[in-house]
Amino acid sequence: MLEVEKIDVFRGEIQALWQVSLKIEDGELVSLIGANGAGKSTIVESISGLIPLTGGSISFDGVNLGSKSAHRIVERGISLIPEERGIFPGMSVLENLELGAFTPKSRKKIHESLRFVYDLFPILKNRENQNAGTLSGGEQQMLAIARALMAKPRLLMCDEPSLGLAPIVVKNIFNVIQQINQSGVSVLLVEQNVRAALALSKRAYIIENGHVTGGGESQSLLNDNRVKDAYLGTG
Amino acid sequence: MIQLIAQTFVNGINVGALYGLAAVGLSLTFGVMKILNVGHGEFLMVGGYLAFWMLRLFGVDPFLGLPLIVAALFLLGIISYRLFFATLASFPEEVKVKNSLLVGFGLFLVFPQIARLLWTGDERAITPFYSGGSFPFLGVRIATVPLAGLAVTVILILALHLFLKRTYFGKAVRGTSENWKAAKLMGINVNRTYMITFGIGTAIAGVAGILVGLTQSISPDVGMEWTLKALIVVVLAGIGSVGGAFFAGLILGVLEAVGAIFMGPYTVALGLVIFLVILMFRPQGLFGKA
Repeated sequence: MLEVEKIDVFRGEIQALWQVSLKIEDGELVSLIGANGAGKSTIVESISGLIPLTGGSISFDGVNLGSKSAHRIVERGISLIPEERGIFPGMSVLENLELGAFTPKSRKKIHESLRFVYDLFPILKNRENQNAGTLSGGEQQMLAIARALMAKPRLLMCDEPSLGLAPIVVKNIFNVIQQINQSGVSVLLVEQNVRAALALSKRAYIIENGHVTGGGESQSLLNDNRVKDAYLGTG
Repeated sequence: MIQLIAQTFVNGINVGALYGLAAVGLSLTFGVMKILNVGHGEFLMVGGYLAFWMLRLFGVDPFLGLPLIVAALFLLGIISYRLFFATLASFPEEVKVKNSLLVGFGLFLVFPQIARLLWTGDERAITPFYSGGSFPFLGVRIATVPLAGLAVTVILILALHLFLKRTYFGKAVRGTSENWKAAKLMGINVNRTYMITFGIGTAIAGVAGILVGLTQSISPDVGMEWTLKALIVVVLAGIGSVGGAFFAGLILGVLEAVGAIFMGPYTVALGLVIFLVILMFRPQGLFGKA
């Protein structure tokens, strides 16, 4: 479904990704794990078209995304929940969700989508007319997920959804991500919480200093000594 | 005495509404794009001259011709944006503001020269047959043209407010202003949003120009004067509130009108003093969020 092939990406003058390749099949839940600053966010931001590629290519359903701008990529069915959520704090919860369905295709189904996300997160319905900036961190993350779903994506990318949240809230968020995946949406999950990410995903890639240095079935990575050493603290 | 106060108030509100209108466009482009266009007043000047031309050459009433000016200035805004400001959009924020100052200053250097070629350096006023009319109301003289101008201003501000609050595109403009990166991820074409927002700001400046031509006068060098007033109002109001900019304009207008009684020609300094005081003690402005 999504094929990233040997992309090179620069952030300003500095090269952030070297020859990164990865693949996501239809309906898969794949995670990117790695330390802070390894380049995980850069990968998802490049896929969504926020950062231009210097080399390599990205294709989605066989269509090359390399030269497309971010708003066209959303139209194709890829949504990113950015790091730190990127909600519109001065706008109401409902307005945030409405902007989530900005593309012409998703706007036609806005009522249906609203019902769907309110079912998923009933709390958002209660807070509909409240400014998004007044929500708690967990509620803001729910809003960010709900807003991304409003675009009716076929691939959802979540950048550090657990950032700054209480463990119980994180569990809840991860449950929802799993539920979304089970409804048929492919998910690319970026996480520093490696144990949780591996427990949730079927496959994972390990990112180090802008390179893909490993990967495979999540289950076997959990038992891999190198992964245990570096990320799980149980080596 | 009471009559003098009331008359001063009325005059202040008439001028203040224009300050507000001139400031709204500047506030919009600054809030949404994070660029400061010090050439904003030049668009006001062009709008005034176009209305002057329309009446002088074709006999078109400035109020009836208003939609034409709006369309023309919107187009001029879009062209100017594409030519001069579009490349700034990709820069980081601090660079963007600094460079936009240079670009705006460039407009300030070029536009008055073009205006001098087209309309000479003379001061021009737009004088339809009904200008100068007034009627008494509770002991105060109300001039008809400024009153009509006030009505136009209020309608325009309300329309802009509703546009930003109710329409899908208006919400996209607000979203872009709050977080342009997230706006892109929603599927909003941020560059196009910038362009249209700039066009709207320019069109509003054009309307302000018509009203300035009707109630005061237009000359090639009138632009910077109005940019400065608009800047004071934006600082007074705080960024991002259309209604706030309008009310701050009224406040400045009334303060200046009252100040004129005591300070005479030094009233001009009053606005700049307010500018400094606000920046020192309430940098987020009267209506802005901290």
